[in-house]
Amino acid sequence: MVQVESFEAKYPWITVEPSEYEWDPATFSAQVAGGTLPTLFQVPFTDIQGLIAGGQVADITDLVAELPYADAFNPNILAVTQDDAGRLYGLVTAAYGIGLHYNRALFEQAGLDPDSPPQTWEEVREAAAAIASETGVAGYAQMSQANTGGWQLTSLSYNFGGRLEDGTGDTVTSTVDNPGTRAALEFLQAMRWEDDSLGDNFLYDWGTINQAFAAGQVGMYTSGSDVYNSLVTENDIDPESYGLSVLPLSGGDAGVLAGGTVVAVKSTATPGEVDAAVKWLDHFYLAKLVDEAAAVADAQALAESGAPVGTPALPIFGEEQLAQSDAWVADYVNVPLDQMSFFKENILSQALVPEPSAHTQEMYAILDSVIQAVMTDENADIATLLQDAQSQVNALIEQS
Amino acid sequence: MTDLARRSSITEEPAEGLSEDWHPTAGGGSKEMAPDRRSEDADRSLVSIAERRQAGIKWGLRLTFGLLLAGLVIVGLGPLLWLGKASISTTQDTLRAPFAFWPSGVDWQNLVTAWTEAEISRYFMNTVWLAIGAWLVQIFVATTGGYVLAVLKPRYAGLLYGLVLATLFVPVVVLLVPLFLTVLDVPGLGISLLNSYWGIWLPAGASAFNVILMKRFFDNLPGEILEAARVDGAGPFRMLWSVVLPMSRPILGVVSVFAILAAWRDFLWPLLVLLDPAIQPLSVRLPLIRDTVELDVFLASLLVSTTIPILLFLGFQRLFLRGPGLAGAIKG
Amino acid sequence: MTATRAQARWSRPRSVRSWVKRGGLSALVLVLPLVLVFGVFSWFPIVRAAVMSFQTTNLISDPVWVGLHNFQRVFADPLLLTAIRNTVYFTLLALVFGYPIPLILAACMNELRRAKGFYSVLAYLPVVVPPVATILLWRIFYDAGPNGAFNTILSWFGLGPWPWIQSQASAMPSLVLVATWSAAGATVIIYLAAMTSIRGELYDAADVDGASIPQKIWNVMLPQLRYVLLVTLILQLIGTFQVFMEPFLLTNGGPANSTLTVLLLIYRYAFGSGGTGDFGAATALSLMLAAFLALLSWIYLRATRSWSET
Repeated sequence: MVQVESFEAKYPWITVEPSEYEWDPATFSAQVAGGTLPTLFQVPFTDIQGLIAGGQVADITDLVAELPYADAFNPNILAVTQDDAGRLYGLVTAAYGIGLHYNRALFEQAGLDPDSPPQTWEEVREAAAAIASETGVAGYAQMSQANTGGWQLTSLSYNFGGRLEDGTGDTVTSTVDNPGTRAALEFLQAMRWEDDSLGDNFLYDWGTINQAFAAGQVGMYTSGSDVYNSLVTENDIDPESYGLSVLPLSGGDAGVLAGGTVVAVKSTATPGEVDAAVKWLDHFYLAKLVDEAAAVADAQALAESGAPVGTPALPIFGEEQLAQSDAWVADYVNVPLDQMSFFKENILSQALVPEPSAHTQEMYAILDSVIQAVMTDENADIATLLQDAQSQVNALIEQS
Repeated sequence: MTDLARRSSITEEPAEGLSEDWHPTAGGGSKEMAPDRRSEDADRSLVSIAERRQAGIKWGLRLTFGLLLAGLVIVGLGPLLWLGKASISTTQDTLRAPFAFWPSGVDWQNLVTAWTEAEISRYFMNTVWLAIGAWLVQIFVATTGGYVLAVLKPRYAGLLYGLVLATLFVPVVVLLVPLFLTVLDVPGLGISLLNSYWGIWLPAGASAFNVILMKRFFDNLPGEILEAARVDGAGPFRMLWSVVLPMSRPILGVVSVFAILAAWRDFLWPLLVLLDPAIQPLSVRLPLIRDTVELDVFLASLLVSTTIPILLFLGFQRLFLRGPGLAGAIKG
Repeated sequence: MTATRAQARWSRPRSVRSWVKRGGLSALVLVLPLVLVFGVFSWFPIVRAAVMSFQTTNLISDPVWVGLHNFQRVFADPLLLTAIRNTVYFTLLALVFGYPIPLILAACMNELRRAKGFYSVLAYLPVVVPPVATILLWRIFYDAGPNGAFNTILSWFGLGPWPWIQSQASAMPSLVLVATWSAAGATVIIYLAAMTSIRGELYDAADVDGASIPQKIWNVMLPQLRYVLLVTLILQLIGTFQVFMEPFLLTNGGPANSTLTVLLLIYRYAFGSGGTGDFGAATALSLMLAAFLALLSWIYLRATRSWSET
């Protein structure tokens, strides 16, 4: 890898051993205990606080302070990896907001204008119904498995002004049963049972919904804004047919779920390893966001290997920095940026809401069943389902 | 014989049949051979010869056999044939017209892509390594153990055999978590076998079925040969290596085929132990790449994963379908 | 007539030296692989399971004794009842659907004069296909859209598209279907072997008495198969109570936990996402399941004691 070579040239006493690694919360502890965890690894936003609380990631506050751009971080971004005392345990390397992904080709076939994606949820519903009736494929699809159902339901709830938990720390309670989530589920229920615009298959997780979308079997769905990268590298999507827009917001408190990736160092690393790890963090993950030469080199490497360059992302250092980095790599952009313009132009004016922090994955798992019930049972009683889910999550909170 | 003994002897019956078939003639029929049924059942199954001559029954039988053949081919073979067809079809064909015969043409490229880009070749080799290692460990443990229990028979043999048998009555699920923790931190050695093939190979050796099969086989070896070897001054090791093993080829064959097959089919345990994608076998990898690989290439990958077991089966049919099939069926 | 057993009876040694000389040390060395492998990877984990069910284990710190807490937690889990119900449902479906089929197939195959081997190969082929491949293939078959493989077949008969695993009502039966496909062949071969060894004189006697084919089946074949039938029944029950791969790979317990089985729940306790895994609860539930299966086997043996005396 080019970056490995340049890094080792710069720091000859450090050796970098890349290893193929997939974040999996289920096996994380096993990997720690079995010693197979890489020194530096990636973690989604939702999981870093748990790792901090469990003492499994190293404190890198002082090492980060030495970096040239230490003061330029967006404080909200920093907060993601800080503990209550303000000590830093990892760094955010990528942030995304949930967006609406749609298939331009299917839009055209259904008589819709691919250059004007739906702006309200009613319009989404109409578009979905049109696609379903004109083309026979699902107009809209919803993730529902492997905790992604809960994740997306949370996102949809935010769009309707709901919040899934109240309070923080020791005083947190679950508010899974709230008007926003109810509205979200009723919306899905209507599309499923009244319009029949959700197709016939409902057991989707993050990977399989991408696959279905790339294969032209789904008209619209919601997922992280960076999903295009995966659609290109793993699912062979046709760039012409891809469109990205922002989620419609409905109601006063509506917002967009934002998440991202954190890179952290395992707590069992030696001080030398932690130091090297932070240097690698800087060199590989962050330098390209603040340094023009690094950005261009990185974009060049990606473009040459056929990887996508230019997919919209959320700023880690602030909007101006993001605009500047975009300008640096403008020549290498190989994604259909104009088809994503709706997202890029509007995401920053939407309120960004972080994911709930208490027992997130377990709550998502519980919500998976709720979504699956709504999708597969015409008589699903949303109120009861949400009440049950809420009491289950509260029970979890009390137990811990 | 009490019911319990008879029930537990279901695992011993196959070995009985086995020893009868492969009983070395030098021993001279010391066990009662089961009467040869072949000449008898050619003319005596439930429907008698007289009945078969009756028109109604004759046609009834023909219809039954026809339905049976159709049923077995369509239901049993059908899915596999479809897999073969679909693995060389394009994705759109499979999605839109699953039973059409290649409207867009045959796509042999799928197999190549699966083998190279989807790196099925690597996972195939991983599975091969897993199978070879597990096979060696199982043969080694079962042969040495069975030999001691059956031939050397020290005083603790009975106790040991009982402990081995006892593990048969414990459902595998009970072992799942504690075995995982044990592999994570092997007692006494303090090392972790996680992410290493040894974490698969070694636990595979703890198979009571294998020990039972080997022990029963050794039990039925002709005593005279062993006695003669001992008189000639052969110690336990010599006897095992030079006398017992050469006579054991049939049972070693049985244990080997089933060991390899079991390793090829193993899913949950490798899923838990082998976390590094580079060393995962086919059974673990296929579900994980389902959504990142195009459907046609994925189907080609599935086809590749079925080749070795099917070839093993077709090549060693007798092993599966005669008496030992019983042991394999229960084990599988 | 007694068999000449292959034994190496060395007489009781009187000292360590004579013990070694008589091959006692060799025996110990030779049995070491068995003892080590079984000890570390079988006996020790079994004992450990019993111990762990009374502890809280996370992989970072030492285990903590918590008495019956794990069992209480399992009993208090609303999903436990769901899992038990689903598992019983699966078992019953598999019994009604999957138990008679191999018997019928074997009975038909037994009447074949030639090509019995060919039919046996056909029947057994699904058994050797790796379960992962089978389940992933069937997941493709179960595409609920109108162009899914099975739905296409249904459309040839004018039947509408079926939701298969996408609906709570039809998910479990779909699982039973694929489980039966891959397992039936093995039982067919067992029955066939048993039928072949039914003594011809019994059928002769029945013919002499003027019995019809159904009467012969009822009065001769089935009673002769009694033992095999009972054994395969309990083995099937024990096996289906532990079903895991089909729900795990096809539906992951969904939709809406309608295919959540006890094994899947155990797996989720231990290795599910959302935390470091509750190994204590997992072992507690697995021991409860083991105890239930043992009880079931014991009751079964007692109940069928009189019937299996042939």
